Amino acid sequence: MEGEAAAAKPKGRLCVICNQKRAALKRPKTLEQICRECFYAVFEEEIHRVIVDNQLFKPSERVAIGASGGKDSTVLAYVLSELNRRHNYGLDLFLLSVDEGITGYRDDSLETVKRNEIQYGLPLKVVSYKELYGWTMDEIVKLIGMKNNCTFCGVFRRQALDRGAALLKVDKLVTGHNADDIAETVLLNILRGDIARLSRCTSITTGEDGPIPRCKPFKYTYEKEIVMYAYFKKLDYFSTECIYSPNAYRGFAREFIKDLERIRPRAILDIIKSGEDFRISTSTKMPEQGNCERCGYISSQKWCKACVLLEGLNRGLPKLGIGRTRGANHETSKSIKQRNGTTDSIQSKQCGSLDF
Amino acid sequence: MSCNSQNCCQSGCYKDTILDDREEVSLALTNAPNEMPFNSVSAGSGRNHPENSVLCVKCKLNESMASTSAEYNTDSDISRFCGNCFRSNLYGKFRLAVSSNALISPSDNVLVAFSGGTSSRVALQFVHEMQLKALKNFEASRDRSLPVFGVGVVFIDERSSLAVPTLEFDKAIEDMKLIVSNIAPPAKKLHVVPTEDIFPLDSIDGRERFKELVDAVHDDTGREDLVKYLRMLSLQKVAQDYGYSKIVLGTCTSRIACHVLEATVKGQGYSLAADIQYVDARWKIPVILPLRDCLSQELNILCNLDSLKTIDAFKGHHSGINALITSFVKLLQAENPSRESTIFRTAGKLTPFRFNRMPEADDLNSKLATQRRQKKYNLKPNESLPPESFCRICNAPLKLSDVKSCNLENGTLSAEVIRDKCCMSCQFQVLPKDTSVLEQFFSLFPQQMEVQTEYNSSSEERLQTLR
Amino acid sequence: MTSFRLVGVISIVTLIRSFKMLMFFCLFLRGGLELLCDSVKIHNVDLEPENGEKQLTMKHLLSWVRTNLIKERPEMFMKGDSVRPGVLVLVNDCDWELSGQLDTTLEDKDVVVFISTLHGG
Repeated sequence: MEGEAAAAKPKGRLCVICNQKRAALKRPKTLEQICRECFYAVFEEEIHRVIVDNQLFKPSERVAIGASGGKDSTVLAYVLSELNRRHNYGLDLFLLSVDEGITGYRDDSLETVKRNEIQYGLPLKVVSYKELYGWTMDEIVKLIGMKNNCTFCGVFRRQALDRGAALLKVDKLVTGHNADDIAETVLLNILRGDIARLSRCTSITTGEDGPIPRCKPFKYTYEKEIVMYAYFKKLDYFSTECIYSPNAYRGFAREFIKDLERIRPRAILDIIKSGEDFRISTSTKMPEQGNCERCGYISSQKWCKACVLLEGLNRGLPKLGIGRTRGANHETSKSIKQRNGTTDSIQSKQCGSLDF
Repeated sequence: MSCNSQNCCQSGCYKDTILDDREEVSLALTNAPNEMPFNSVSAGSGRNHPENSVLCVKCKLNESMASTSAEYNTDSDISRFCGNCFRSNLYGKFRLAVSSNALISPSDNVLVAFSGGTSSRVALQFVHEMQLKALKNFEASRDRSLPVFGVGVVFIDERSSLAVPTLEFDKAIEDMKLIVSNIAPPAKKLHVVPTEDIFPLDSIDGRERFKELVDAVHDDTGREDLVKYLRMLSLQKVAQDYGYSKIVLGTCTSRIACHVLEATVKGQGYSLAADIQYVDARWKIPVILPLRDCLSQELNILCNLDSLKTIDAFKGHHSGINALITSFVKLLQAENPSRESTIFRTAGKLTPFRFNRMPEADDLNSKLATQRRQKKYNLKPNESLPPESFCRICNAPLKLSDVKSCNLENGTLSAEVIRDKCCMSCQFQVLPKDTSVLEQFFSLFPQQMEVQTEYNSSSEERLQTLR
Repeated sequence: MTSFRLVGVISIVTLIRSFKMLMFFCLFLRGGLELLCDSVKIHNVDLEPENGEKQLTMKHLLSWVRTNLIKERPEMFMKGDSVRPGVLVLVNDCDWELSGQLDTTLEDKDVVVFISTLHGG
């Protein structure tokens, strides 16, 4: 019966590329029906093209891959090491992970990254909140509760990645942000009225003026294809929600993007195109970037956000730097308020991800 | 909450608590988007006087609308005015838009596009009130130097693309005639024009041609958008045929907020800024949006307050992506009543196009206006080149890098060449993919469009012709 | 639909079988969806096609999964009568968008995989 069932399986439609094998998926980008092997080929080739056309890397550069153990960064690590070999990019690739110190979540996902280290033969560097800031997220949550903890996590992670990248002495940091993520960010910036971020959020490379530029090779890659690729290739990735924001999935905007994709898959790329094409006058610039007086990290304020938050934690005033607060450090909290004071409920991809 | 004890500070803390509450509520909403626990927010945040007599925040004489009628008891600031102050406030926004952008000048003959809905109903009402005031001033002035602008009304009869029973349709048009005849004096002419009139008179069956054209579009959203583009052509044609100098649309902030997302999702980020300004003079007859700063909620309230009659029979229904966006914005608006305004403001920061200002007029103020504009030119010298080209279908300005260069030969263009002169969005959602069908599609297209797009080759040249 | 013509005799055997017997499916929940079912990733299930129906569609399977497998937050899995947008479905390792989504007909011993793209990054 077993053999019969297998033989009985429909042959289905044939792949439009090779015309030989049974199609395994419908590409959201082109609506083509293609088989697994052809999918691997076009998926990898497209990312190669993005890398070449945008000149993301130069030969012999050291590149860190921000690795969370999730689907995007796992596929990115796999594909990038594959392309590096195939097309002789001549890159030194590293995995860079952040250990937030969340028992039952990050320790598990770090195990995934450690397996990736062996599977893909990429050296791994883990930087932890504990060693950088003296606090684990477990400890922070114990102090401040379940509210606002994502603010701490997000601010700390962004800086932790830069610190880790500096320790690895890399020239670039790549992150696994995919087309869905970027489309979502475009929408969120419109909904929030953040014209400065709106003008920057579709750039494939950011922070070129800073110490370590970041780039997003998956900028035009659909989340669906990333997940399909990981599934077909049986890549080892971790997909559990963060225990501290179990329901924080994504808000309205993500839901909207997915609804849109169902009606018109190409809308995701159209949103990115709109984001690139918006006529934004160059006079709307970001505030002058300086350095944090305390830790030296890039900051437009006297102190960087991480230092303000940390100061609050260490002084037992964890509300410092979050929303509208009146802590002892009035001056600092005021300046932070201006940038981050709006308690906005529409949130983007919060946890387990690498912040923009 | 932000402070542990309620009495640590008197004024600020209350606000903080509310803010935190709101945050919690919206977080809950993120988890279960189908539920809308917003009654709690409005109960806590808006008015801190539970008793029913709250005075208008402006005149401080009359009771606010919130206290007189539960109907207006909304979360926004609107209900804190009394009826009179609300009305004059709303009219003030309209008047400010008109005066500060020189939307209507005394020598104008304006055509108000009336769909039967609340927005265009208010537009019609306000234009009428303005005309009435101008008339009074005219009669009072000694020299009677400034003429009073003329007003006409147009309704585009879209029964060829709408599924409304004929009887109901005819009844609605009768109602509409009644509405317009009641908005007098001065009397206003109502033009009821079927969409198919965009085709030249000699074409045999315009309605069939129209249907064939629209049915050739396979995408639901594309079809809806095409009807919208054709509606603009109808308006343009009526305005030209009857000598109107401006077309007034009732487009309000809320509609613009939806349009911002619609355009973004369709990849029209470049041309978006063209559609949402007070003035859109890329057309032969400039289009003006004097209600640009009014929320649909406000317009609805005014219609309610003043018993302005509207007609529901033609109420536009959206499909496809446009419908999805309408419900998305509704959801966002419920979560935060100022979201529409925020979206509108974001898009307002985009750089407009050259044609988003009024072309030179012949009236007395023109000299001053010219100087003002000259100044703007000096500020952005690079803006004066290169000339824009426009989509053959929707007339959206095209991004230079998106336009495939092709040699413009005299005579007829092949369908493929014309396709390359359409925006990406129309190429995807409007134009048929099959080349042979495409040729047929372009042949069905109203001739007017062909002629009119010729002007678009140079915007400077267009401005010349407009004068 | 197409499957029936292609598989000929064997499918008829399956049909007869499925008339009298239960159909057997192997369901995989991935990408975080297992969290909605007590973290169980693999579910072997037997289902009886609805009265009078000769075959079972994905639509039926989904409503069965919703009532019988999903223990919490069904809205993370379903929206309306389909999966929530962002949940990928594969029938025998083939994207269900190729086989008609909700109208996909299932056969005995089919393997259905649900993957959420909404978790983690």
